Amino acid sequence: MDKVPVRRAGRAGSAGVAAPPDARPALLLGSVFVIATCGLIYELIAGTLASYLLGDSVMQFSTIIGAYLFSMGIGSWLSRYLSGSLLRWFIRLEILVGLVGGFSAPLLFVLFEYVSSFRLILYALVGLTGILVGLEIPLLMRILENRFEFKDLVSRVFTFDYIGALLASLVFPLVLVPQLGLIRTSLLCGALNVVVAGVALYRFPETRPFRRSLTGALVASLLALAVGFGYAERLQTYTEGLAFQDQVIYSKTTPYQRLVLTKNQRELRLFLNGNLQFSSLDEYRYHEALVHPAMQALPQARRVLVLGGGDGLAVRELLKYPQLQSIRLVDLDAGMTHLFQHNQMLLELNQRALLHPKVQVINGDAYQWVRQDTTRYDCIVVDFPDPGNYSIGKLYSAAFYRELERRLAPGGWVVVQSTSPYVARRSFWCVAHTLEAAGFTTLPYHCYVPSFGEWGFVLAGRNRHWRPDAGPLPPGLRYVTPATIRAMRFFPPDMSEVPTDINQLNNQALVRYFEEDWGPYVH
Amino acid sequence: MQQTALGGAGLLLAPLAGLHSCAPGTGRGHISGSMHGANHATGHLLRDPARLPAPTRTEVVEVLIVGGGVAGLAARRELERQGLRPEQILLVELDEQPGGNSRAGRSAVSAYPWGAHYLPVPDVRNHALLTFLREAGVITGFDAASGLPVYNEYHLCHDPEERLFIRGHWQTGLVPELGVPAAEKEQIARFFRLIDELRQTVGQDGRDAFRIPVQESSGDAQFRRLDDVSFAAYLDEQGFISPHLRWYLDYSCRDDYGASAAQVSAWAGLHYFASRKGHAHNAGSADVLTWPQGNGFLAEQLRQQARSPLRPDTVAYALHDRPTGLAVDCYHVPSRRTTRVEARRVIMATPLFITERLLAGLPPAAHRTLPCHRAPWVVVNLTVPGLPQGPGQPLSWDNVLYGAQSVGYVDAGHQRLSLSDAAPRVVTWYLPLSAPDPATARRQAYQTSYDEWVRRTLAELETAHPGLTPLVERADVWVWGHGMVAPTPGFVWGAARAAAAQPWQQKLFLAHTDLSGISLFEEGFYQGIRAAREVLAASGVVLA
Repeated sequence: MDKVPVRRAGRAGSAGVAAPPDARPALLLGSVFVIATCGLIYELIAGTLASYLLGDSVMQFSTIIGAYLFSMGIGSWLSRYLSGSLLRWFIRLEILVGLVGGFSAPLLFVLFEYVSSFRLILYALVGLTGILVGLEIPLLMRILENRFEFKDLVSRVFTFDYIGALLASLVFPLVLVPQLGLIRTSLLCGALNVVVAGVALYRFPETRPFRRSLTGALVASLLALAVGFGYAERLQTYTEGLAFQDQVIYSKTTPYQRLVLTKNQRELRLFLNGNLQFSSLDEYRYHEALVHPAMQALPQARRVLVLGGGDGLAVRELLKYPQLQSIRLVDLDAGMTHLFQHNQMLLELNQRALLHPKVQVINGDAYQWVRQDTTRYDCIVVDFPDPGNYSIGKLYSAAFYRELERRLAPGGWVVVQSTSPYVARRSFWCVAHTLEAAGFTTLPYHCYVPSFGEWGFVLAGRNRHWRPDAGPLPPGLRYVTPATIRAMRFFPPDMSEVPTDINQLNNQALVRYFEEDWGPYVH
Repeated sequence: MQQTALGGAGLLLAPLAGLHSCAPGTGRGHISGSMHGANHATGHLLRDPARLPAPTRTEVVEVLIVGGGVAGLAARRELERQGLRPEQILLVELDEQPGGNSRAGRSAVSAYPWGAHYLPVPDVRNHALLTFLREAGVITGFDAASGLPVYNEYHLCHDPEERLFIRGHWQTGLVPELGVPAAEKEQIARFFRLIDELRQTVGQDGRDAFRIPVQESSGDAQFRRLDDVSFAAYLDEQGFISPHLRWYLDYSCRDDYGASAAQVSAWAGLHYFASRKGHAHNAGSADVLTWPQGNGFLAEQLRQQARSPLRPDTVAYALHDRPTGLAVDCYHVPSRRTTRVEARRVIMATPLFITERLLAGLPPAAHRTLPCHRAPWVVVNLTVPGLPQGPGQPLSWDNVLYGAQSVGYVDAGHQRLSLSDAAPRVVTWYLPLSAPDPATARRQAYQTSYDEWVRRTLAELETAHPGLTPLVERADVWVWGHGMVAPTPGFVWGAARAAAAQPWQQKLFLAHTDLSGISLFEEGFYQGIRAAREVLAASGVVLA
């Protein structure tokens, strides 16, 4: 958890006249304590969420705090326009703060999925919460102004305010987030604000004229927050909090898979059904290794087919070859491609690859699509999930590779991500042998991706006319050079070729190898 | 069904299939679907042919084929292959579509089988069958080095093929293993050693002891003797008493013959295992070919490989002897008109109980009697969004529940190449009603309601898939009153079977799996080709 020092801004109070002692001011000062705690927690939630969702925590915290404090200033200034029954205003305000602040975290989590201009919504919500919170203290001071001497009033209100701030800054990271998570913390604070409103409504006789009308709003707000609290688990499942070491910032179950994005200060990770798909820190190694050994050998390439790879990261690498006229990506899951076409953070990662005019995105079953396709491609990039079940195993079968062979232009290359040759040695070589059984000549290679370990690929063509330095590589690559390609072709003894069966639709040899190879690594 | 309430012949054919629903308040009130019976209303017209109208027109053909099951379709194809012109042949079928026990259906989700649903990789010596499969695209070529057929990988059953639900767990394969005591495992191993031996065994006549088609098997007395005793008695005598083995063998007999190990002969029981001698470049004897619509695929291919007219909804109800052939009265159900077909030769590709009735009008020498034991079957196609999966092997092609009354269910979506496991699918559940008295079982089956069949299906499947009932989107039921022939002791090698297959006066020829005693696609195909060749020989055609 990121911790950035936060300080509450002081507030100006108005002058007051001494008043007789009263038991109820203690209640109002207690309220100061609660609303101060909640107010700071909303700010902390916004800061934390912004750094989770958008990254760069110093920047996010700094701007969120700035915006929040500035909005509080606006709120304080606006307080002068409130007149009439101040207690009524205060109760209304607390209900509103409870709702806006309380639902801020769940709202931001939900909206992150759907909106492209997430920052705008984030700052709008921070601004609104800030304004409402900024109204609280001046309003309370005006309510109390006749019951204390000015010096006592200022001293007491700010004492409780700052004690509340201290409590919030300790309880938030130590108790609330670990125990409740952000969403339920947010909803709990909202409920506390509404409770403050309730106490004020029932302990002050002067509220009688509007008690009935406000009771309805109060009960409804409390109910809404309680319901939100109950559903918080669905929104951000507790198990995910346990399964992923980093904060889950997005999760969605599509008809095909469960997508989970996690984030810490350094990296963004995508998990598909719990399996790591990439880490933003080192995915360039994987995607450069996937694309460039094949593409550098195809300076005349015009058309490329990408199967799987809905994250657009392989397409990002392909777009570095200006000679390409069209890139067609077929990915089953519209939920996945939509995310990588609309989310700001992910658009930065894939450099808007899936929105490029040369790129055509098709959501469909790769196997069926390839069977009915009639185009011939110079390069086919196969980036499917690992063969962990029988349905995916079919996409690694000799029958499927024969379909790919029909789609390959003369002299073209197919490249297949082929799991880890270190962990799943038989699986890796089974992919290579299956490609050979389908009539291809193969060039297996591997690279080290820190978040994955050793990872393998198989380059497959109709002939051996391939060189690691056949054509120019695009500028700006961080991993692949002709020397890297040469090195990737070398297999040390612990990953070298082993005999395997061919993966056929009627034996699914690969799925069985894969289960046995990876079994010891999965609990 | 409402047989008695119906008067005229047309009314007898009121649609049976209409939409049925389960009883409300039972937890399955949301389930509805169609209910069919192998058009038994049309079939039962034959019981009282006098009520059918007299012929109003006459048609002349060289060969009339009665019955559009696999045997009839194979005969039609063979006649054309050997040079008969399409207009010389006519096939009449009483159902609305041909296929017989290989019929298929289709829902919004998938095609599915209504009966037979697979073909084991055939013996390479079965040239006629291999030629057909090559033409159907099931065989894509022959390996240059070995000469062995290469099968279309999309038609070979994909892995995972079979699983068995036993002791609350899905194990791989159908032979019980999980929790089976060592002594029983030894018996199971001994049984399969015996089968391996029998698979290799050749009689003194140079023929395999067990082979498909049955007709090619050795006639040695040592093997024929096995046809005199029941499979159950044979197993007792050989000391195969392991309950798990006996369950498995009983299941196998019910699966292929609709009858228990006590009802079929030892020869037939062993034939089920020892006749599997398939061989291919890319498959072995244990591999099978399957399609979403089951053997409906093969029936359709047979139909497409010939062009002669095929007249569905047509009941042949009377045969008359003529100097130049036979006259057959054929009632066309939709138009309610009868046509008299004057044919030089007629192939009866109908089940023997139908054939017997139809031949009643011919001289006694033409009569055929072959008492067959035919168990009724019920097939239920369930459309489900998925099956709640228990522990163990995931959903496979063939899914069997140990100790259950049914012979399990098949996933019609198994061969699809889609990644979307979550998409709805159809599973086909098979229940042979292998009672000692098929007639009683048949009567009861016809009286059982749609709701009751669905209840029984789900009661059984819920044991392996708790929570399935509310997920079922649709259930379609087919009650096969006459199922298929069971090879009871003495049937396969008895004199009656051989006699029943004999042509009469070069006019009447017979083709049906009843004449094999074993109801397999290969046998129907063989019988059709055999009858067609007898016809051609009678006509003096030199076979290609």
